[in-house]
Amino acid sequence: MFLPFFYQLRDQGIPVSLRYVLEFYQAMEKGLAPDLDRLFILTRLIFVKKVEHFDGFEQAFAAYFLGAEGGSIPRFSQQAWEDKGFSRWLEEEMARGSLPDDAVERFSLAELLQRFWEVAMEQRGKHRGGHTWVGTGGTSAFGHSGGEREGVRVHGDSLHGSALKVIETRRYMDYAASATLRAENLRQVLAALKHMAPAGPPTDLDVDETIDRTCRNGGEIELVFKRELRDRIQLIVLLDNGGASMHPYLDLVKLVFGQMRDQFRDLDYYYFHNCIYGCVYSDPQRLAPCPVHQLVRRDPETRVLVIGDANMAPAELMVSNGAIDYFSKVRVPGRDWLLQLRNHFAHSVWLNPMPRSRWPHESRTIQQIGEIFPMEDLTLAGIRRAVEWLNSGAPPSRNSRQVAAGS
Amino acid sequence: MQFLGTDKYYLNPELREIVNIAMAMEKPLLVTGEAGTGKTQLAFEIARALGLTLEEARCKSTFKGEELCYVYDTVLRLNDSRFGTGESGRDVNKIWDYLGFGPIGRAFLAEERRVLLLDEIDKTDSDTQDNLLDVLEDGSFIIREINHKVKAEQMPVIIITSNAKRELSDPFLRRCYCHHIPFPSMEEMSQIIRLHYPEVPAPLMDSALAIFYNLRQQGFEKPPATAELLDWLGALLLDGAKPPITPDKIPFLGTLLKRTQDLLHHKGVERESV
Repeated sequence: MFLPFFYQLRDQGIPVSLRYVLEFYQAMEKGLAPDLDRLFILTRLIFVKKVEHFDGFEQAFAAYFLGAEGGSIPRFSQQAWEDKGFSRWLEEEMARGSLPDDAVERFSLAELLQRFWEVAMEQRGKHRGGHTWVGTGGTSAFGHSGGEREGVRVHGDSLHGSALKVIETRRYMDYAASATLRAENLRQVLAALKHMAPAGPPTDLDVDETIDRTCRNGGEIELVFKRELRDRIQLIVLLDNGGASMHPYLDLVKLVFGQMRDQFRDLDYYYFHNCIYGCVYSDPQRLAPCPVHQLVRRDPETRVLVIGDANMAPAELMVSNGAIDYFSKVRVPGRDWLLQLRNHFAHSVWLNPMPRSRWPHESRTIQQIGEIFPMEDLTLAGIRRAVEWLNSGAPPSRNSRQVAAGS
Repeated sequence: MQFLGTDKYYLNPELREIVNIAMAMEKPLLVTGEAGTGKTQLAFEIARALGLTLEEARCKSTFKGEELCYVYDTVLRLNDSRFGTGESGRDVNKIWDYLGFGPIGRAFLAEERRVLLLDEIDKTDSDTQDNLLDVLEDGSFIIREINHKVKAEQMPVIIITSNAKRELSDPFLRRCYCHHIPFPSMEEMSQIIRLHYPEVPAPLMDSALAIFYNLRQQGFEKPPATAELLDWLGALLLDGAKPPITPDKIPFLGTLLKRTQDLLHHKGVERESV
């Protein structure tokens, strides 16, 4: 009978699992919600695990149990379940005469709350359809973005117009949402990125080795210690921050990159424009260069992630002085620099924010770079595969090995 | 079993309900909140109020989770097997003589219900948290060496605290009840003070609270919290300071502001206001 409430929670973006629902009924059976305020606390404990969900929860609760009217959802503060809904109900009841004016003196607060709770339970039946107004009232973020999605689709066909750039971004954000790329699940995918290596002083007793040596010693104990396994992952992120071609993906890249920065302690990041020639830059303005030969001196176990749309003029990649920077004196084509990185860092991957379906049509260079680095898109599945690449350290593709041998 | 607060601990009615629901549902309760909101103290007070034994685990970043359940002393056993057990009464053939139990193990093995406090869980790495999850959820762990399952006789009351220095993983949050303790309001704070210093004169209390909450709003790096306030009041009482205390000249300022930056900043503000 509480099903609409659970759906309303979902509409507010709060993950509701079957487990919570079962827990909720279990708690009801135990009689843990004898009145409305306890019900509020109980449901919140069961369903809300993060601060960012508080507001949505309170709105859903208000709408469902207090029958808040569309558009004017009472913003619940901490004591709201004590004063707002309740006191309003009390006033109305007194005004209608169904409670005597001196009810406050005649009944205890507990009795009044109990009555309020009963009424609320009855009313809930009447407001069963009440969950539909969430979204149409224009206050729910969910419904709102739904409207936007429609709007974008209308303009979705002309992708190259500059005026539509902003809308383009939105459209892509929507694409990301449909692949449910969100901060929280991103965190979980990235958590799989690990590099377990022995670290620190040898403190773990190696039991097998100890027994082995002790036996060889004729029973004289010889303790053998080893270093314990710890996560020692080091990560380099190379970001394409140049040019308009990356512009539509700004929000998406920011989200992914932000999550990475939170998650990994040993994270270095550098910027480049379109393709890498000779050096990358440690600042977004690309003023402080860091030569590639310095990068490839780093531990080959370092994981390298390149984020870029790999979309450039073919000359930039293939021709020996094709660098987009006019004054660049670098004579080696971009492709060779990429190969150099790829051959040094076995655990490297290219993340392309552009939707995979558009890769074949957009530029030849996407495919060419895809032959050097394993390339994945910025969806949840794509990042998950990228993490697998990084963990397993896929061997360089056939093509790149040939070139490496020839050079 | 109902927890109703104690004479030394002010219990917000909402938190009281939460603790009781968590106990009834046998779910771990994760409390977050600023330092000095009484997160850790909550576990102590529950144990004291209900007359339960407290098992306490202060987490460290090197914890792997297993040592909170049990420790198998291989070295001692090897040593005993080589040199004999002597007078110790241990038997090298019995592994149980070389197994020690950590706080979780003790809480599970106890015949009566206990309170289990996992303090500052966020200090451990996410692997440890995941290991602990299953243990806390099932109320059981396995001693790997002998594949023996230890099952909780009585599910302990589990209180987990976190300073939210690092985010806890979603699966972890999913299996807990989470509650954020907000910083006490001025009224609640005066009740807390009354519990600790029943003899504080009202004028002193009022001016102290006004200064305290004013200081908290100034965006210090380490804003003073409950513990600092209580220390400060204790110092004021010992000194026999008479109200009114003015914001320009706060005695024992060092008990309220701990960081040099904050102290300097405050002095700067003071000078301007003079």
